Amino acid sequence: MSNFTIPVGPLHVALEEPMYFRLDVQGETIAHVDIHAGHVHRGIEYLVTKRNVFQNVVLTERVCSLCSNSHPQAYAMAIERIAGIVVPPRAQYLRAVADEVKRVASHLFNVAILAHLVGFDALFMHVMEVRERMQDVKESVFGNRMDIGANAIGGVRYDIDAQGIGYLNQQLDAIDAEVVEIIDLYRTNGSILGRTRGIGVLPHADAVDCGVVGPVARAAGIDYDLRVKAPYTAYDRLDVTVHTLPDGDVWSRAMIRLYEARTAIGLIRQCLRDLPDGPTIDSRERPSIPAGEAIARCEAPRGELIYYVRMGDSPKPERVKWRVPSFMNWDALRIMLKEAKIADIAIIVNSIDPCISCTER
Amino acid sequence: MNILKLFYRNLTQGPSTVAFPFGPAWTPPKLRGRIRFDLPACTGCRACEQVCAPGAIRFDKTPEGLRFMMWHNSCVFCGLCNFYCPTDAIVQSDDWHLAHPTARMYEMAIRELIPYTACSACGTKTLASAPNPVGVEPPFSAEEIEQFRHLCPGCRKKALEERTPNHAPTE
Repeated sequence: MSNFTIPVGPLHVALEEPMYFRLDVQGETIAHVDIHAGHVHRGIEYLVTKRNVFQNVVLTERVCSLCSNSHPQAYAMAIERIAGIVVPPRAQYLRAVADEVKRVASHLFNVAILAHLVGFDALFMHVMEVRERMQDVKESVFGNRMDIGANAIGGVRYDIDAQGIGYLNQQLDAIDAEVVEIIDLYRTNGSILGRTRGIGVLPHADAVDCGVVGPVARAAGIDYDLRVKAPYTAYDRLDVTVHTLPDGDVWSRAMIRLYEARTAIGLIRQCLRDLPDGPTIDSRERPSIPAGEAIARCEAPRGELIYYVRMGDSPKPERVKWRVPSFMNWDALRIMLKEAKIADIAIIVNSIDPCISCTER
Repeated sequence: MNILKLFYRNLTQGPSTVAFPFGPAWTPPKLRGRIRFDLPACTGCRACEQVCAPGAIRFDKTPEGLRFMMWHNSCVFCGLCNFYCPTDAIVQSDDWHLAHPTARMYEMAIRELIPYTACSACGTKTLASAPNPVGVEPPFSAEEIEQFRHLCPGCRKKALEERTPNHAPTE
């Protein structure tokens, strides 16, 4: 058996994101993995210091399209902490709604890509069609398919009336019924099981060592979800179920995402049921932000997202730094890819739901 | 669910896609699309310019007045200008038909002018912008807006004090 060094990425037909892997292979088996990053670095952390507090709500939303609600939310929470702004209760619930709507769409997207990589394109199309309903929801309720623009400093920019709640509930019922069927398919379909069970295993101990977050951690048996551990917005008043699976393989991560999509639907229903009356933002006037620094965290679809903001005397932040979930998760790829087959690389990489645009910003 | 059941359902229900551009495309009323600008309602407070992340909105002082310029091709449709506008002078419509030949790129802009006028009370040169409604109780009537439009900032303040003697105006 001969040894080769092969490149996978940064532009590769099977990879959804521009990562570059240098792999030493022995025959079909991977012996060593080198991960090289930096292909989509756009200097956004620098750009943030060149724009004022309000412009940055928009800029941080465009760091990444799939977690595009989590970034401005964590950023706004940090600014609100510096300025001592209290977000009205209705806005807190509406923030949770926006967060969970994005989570459903993001998780379904990743699970759909898995079907595509398995070669089961009929299932890929079906899951994307179900996700399309959530895209319609975003377009109808927020006005955009990806950058939903829900957050503002001090609250939210959108509101839902009784008609909107009715529409949302009706869509959620339809999506929920489809997700139940999709879960059943992923649990029983031979093609899916054959390509995902026991593949890309991340053992519990390694998961702890790597500090992985989000569905990757929960699929390795780590019961860690920021919505429960450190509730923000309305999550302390919501009943959040945290799903865990013990095996840490590609299949477990897909199933965790599917279970969480259902939980997210349940959370939106809870929010809509308990939605308090009142204002949706602290003040329509742009608040002045004093000097200071703060950290805020939220549970993005991929895991824990941390924002650090330092304000000086200028309306532009002195420093904004964020730690994204994919940064923690992609280190674990070294362990998942070890001894894996070349044909499984794309499936394993996709299973951490890598968000390179967040990580390299 | 059996995948064959799914195939059967798709076969009987037909395609999920729309026939655009040969048929109409569904557009939700809340869609955040092309910016519309209502010059008479603009107070010239420049809040939209300050919150516009891509710098699509610009105000310039010219000899004729305060010029408002907005480039559709720079706009990211975030809606912050709409959100922070005190008078809804700048709003987002549900129009997303913005494709155009490159030759027409300079037409993809809104150019308006808030002209200078002479203050009807003291004669000072001033901008004929709408009055800022923030904190004004009861809200301005349409006639009052027209009356305030032709007053300079100092005379506006005086007129506002006379209008609400019990309330200190909050600018």
